[in-house]
Amino acid sequence: MTGPILSLRGVSKSFPQGGLLDRLLGRDSRLVALDDVSLDVMRGDVVGIVGESGSGKSTLAGLAVGLARPTSGEVLLDGQSMAVLMRDHAGPWRRRVQMVFQDSSSALNPRKSVERCLGETLALRGVPRAQRDSEIADLLTLVGLGPEIGPRLPHELSGGQRQRIGLARALAMKPEVLIADEPVSALDVSLQAQVINLLSRLTRELGLTLLFISHDLALVRTLCSRIVVMRKGTIVEQGPCLDVLGRPQHPYTQALIAAVPKGLAGRRTPLPVRADAAVPETREDIHGAA
Amino acid sequence: MSDLRKALRGLDWSGWLGAGIVGLIVLAAIFAPLIAPYDPLALNIEDRLTAPDARHWLGTDQGGRDVLSRILFGARASLSVGIGAVLIGALIGVSAGIFAAYKGGLGEQVVMRIVDGVASIPLLVWAIAIVGILGVGPLAVGPLLLPNEVKIVVLVGCLFSPVFARVTYAVAKRIAGADYVRARFLQGASHWQIVSGDVLPNCLSPIIVQGTLLVAIGIVIEASISFVGLGVQPPQPSWGTMLSDARSAIYSGEWWLPVFPGLAISLTVIGFNLLGDAVRDLFDPRSEARTLVA
Repeated sequence: MTGPILSLRGVSKSFPQGGLLDRLLGRDSRLVALDDVSLDVMRGDVVGIVGESGSGKSTLAGLAVGLARPTSGEVLLDGQSMAVLMRDHAGPWRRRVQMVFQDSSSALNPRKSVERCLGETLALRGVPRAQRDSEIADLLTLVGLGPEIGPRLPHELSGGQRQRIGLARALAMKPEVLIADEPVSALDVSLQAQVINLLSRLTRELGLTLLFISHDLALVRTLCSRIVVMRKGTIVEQGPCLDVLGRPQHPYTQALIAAVPKGLAGRRTPLPVRADAAVPETREDIHGAA
Repeated sequence: MSDLRKALRGLDWSGWLGAGIVGLIVLAAIFAPLIAPYDPLALNIEDRLTAPDARHWLGTDQGGRDVLSRILFGARASLSVGIGAVLIGALIGVSAGIFAAYKGGLGEQVVMRIVDGVASIPLLVWAIAIVGILGVGPLAVGPLLLPNEVKIVVLVGCLFSPVFARVTYAVAKRIAGADYVRARFLQGASHWQIVSGDVLPNCLSPIIVQGTLLVAIGIVIEASISFVGLGVQPPQPSWGTMLSDARSAIYSGEWWLPVFPGLAISLTVIGFNLLGDAVRDLFDPRSEARTLVA
C-alpha cells in the first residue's frame, strides 16, 4: 500500500474572535488561520513547510498531529479519518504521529527529570518497567546525549540539550510521522546545525516521515526533499525542494528567496559545525554519524 | 526532604522570625493543657481582676480566671479555625480553579463566574450573616451534631475558596497551555494523569503562599465572629470572646484584659504574614533580583 501517510483534504481552521458577549449577541467574527488546504505527505518524505509568521504553519501542525480539529475538511492518517481516530483518545494511533515543539523551555515539565519524562512516555507506550531504563539509555544515545543526563531537571540543561530531550520524548513513542514546529528557531546557529544534522540522520536511519516547519529557507534546503510555501492560511506553491527554490513560480516564493542573505541562499551542503562549537554536551561526532 | 532543607536555608531573617512565631504558637496550642498554669475555666472570685503579678503573669479577668491560661487555650480555637478553613478552602478552590483552567469553554465560564459571584460579597459580612441565620448552637447534620466551631471552619473555608480558585486558575491556565501538557496529551495520557502529574505540581507554590497568608485572615475572622458573640461560646476561651469581654475594662483601667488577647492576635497574624512573604520569596524565581534592587 503506497497511499499518503498523512493527508489533508480541503482543510480549513478558523478561531472565534471577540468576547463572550459578542458571541452571545451573534456579532462574532472569525479569524481564518487555514483556508482550504490540501496536502499529501508520502511515507519517508521530508517536507519543509515555510512561510512568514501568521501564515498558518503552526495551525497546520496542530491539525496534523491531532491537537485540534479542523473547522471543515478532513485530516487522514494512513487513510483513516483523524476525526474518527480522535474519539479514542489513548488509542494506538496516537503514537504514530508525534511532535517536537519550538520552545524547549516550555516543552519540558520543569519538575520532571529527564529519566522521569522519558520513563512516563515509555509507560504510556506500554513498555514494561524492567525495560524502561535500557530504552531510556538507547533514546539518549540516539539523540547524541549521554546517560549522565538522566537525573537532571530541564533547567539544568542547555537549550540544545532540552531540544534533544524533546526529540527523544517524541521518538520514545516510535512514531511514523514526526512534526517539528520550528524546532531550532530558538537555538543559536551552531546548535541549529547540530539539531538539523541529527534530524537528517534520524529520518534516514529510522525511516521517519518528517514535517519540518520553519521560516528559514536555508535550513529547509539542507534538510528537506519537498517544500510547501504557505501564506495567509493557503498553500501558494509546493513541490520538490530544488524545483521550488530553483525556479520559484509564485511571486511570494520569489520574495522569500530574495529575502535570504546571499551567503546562505546558495548553500546546498549541510551547515558546517564549527570546531569550537562542538560543545562537550555531544558525545557523537556529528559528521561521522552521518 | 532535601527540598525542605534547601528551602529553610533560603529563608531570610524575617522569614525565620515568622516561622519562629508560628512554631511557638502552634506548640502552645498543642501543649496548652501541659503548660497552662491554671484551668482556663476555673472561677476564683477572690482573685478577680488582679493585675499581672508573679502568680498570674498576665492577670485575671472578672471571674478570677487566669488570662495566660485562657490565651493558651484560646490559641486552639484560633489556629484550628484558621488552618482548617484554609484546608477546606484550598480543597474546593484549587479543584474549581484547575477544572476551569484545564477544561476551558463553557465549564470555565460557568465556574469562574460563580467564583466571581461568591468573591464579590465581603467575607466577614457573609460569615456573620450565615452564622446569624444558623444560630450558635450545635447543628444537627444527619446523625452528626456539629459544634459551632465546625460550622465556622466550613463557612470560612467556603468563603476562602474563591481566592484559591482565582490564584490556581491564573497559574493553571498558563500551564494548561504549555507545550509539555500538549506533549502528554499527544502521548495519550489521561486527563487525570495530566492534571495530577503536570498541572497541579506546577501550581503548588502560589497556592502554598496564598494558604499561609489566608491563615492569618482566618484567625482575624474567627476573632471577629467570636467578638460579636457568634463564634466560640463562653465559657470556652477564644481570643475574640476575651476581647469582647474586655470592652468594659477599657474604661475601668484593667488594661491587661484587652491588651494581651489583642497582642496574641496581632503576633499570630504578623507571624503568618512574615512566613507567607518569606515563602513567596522562596518560590519566586525573580526573588534574587528583587533583593538586589531593594
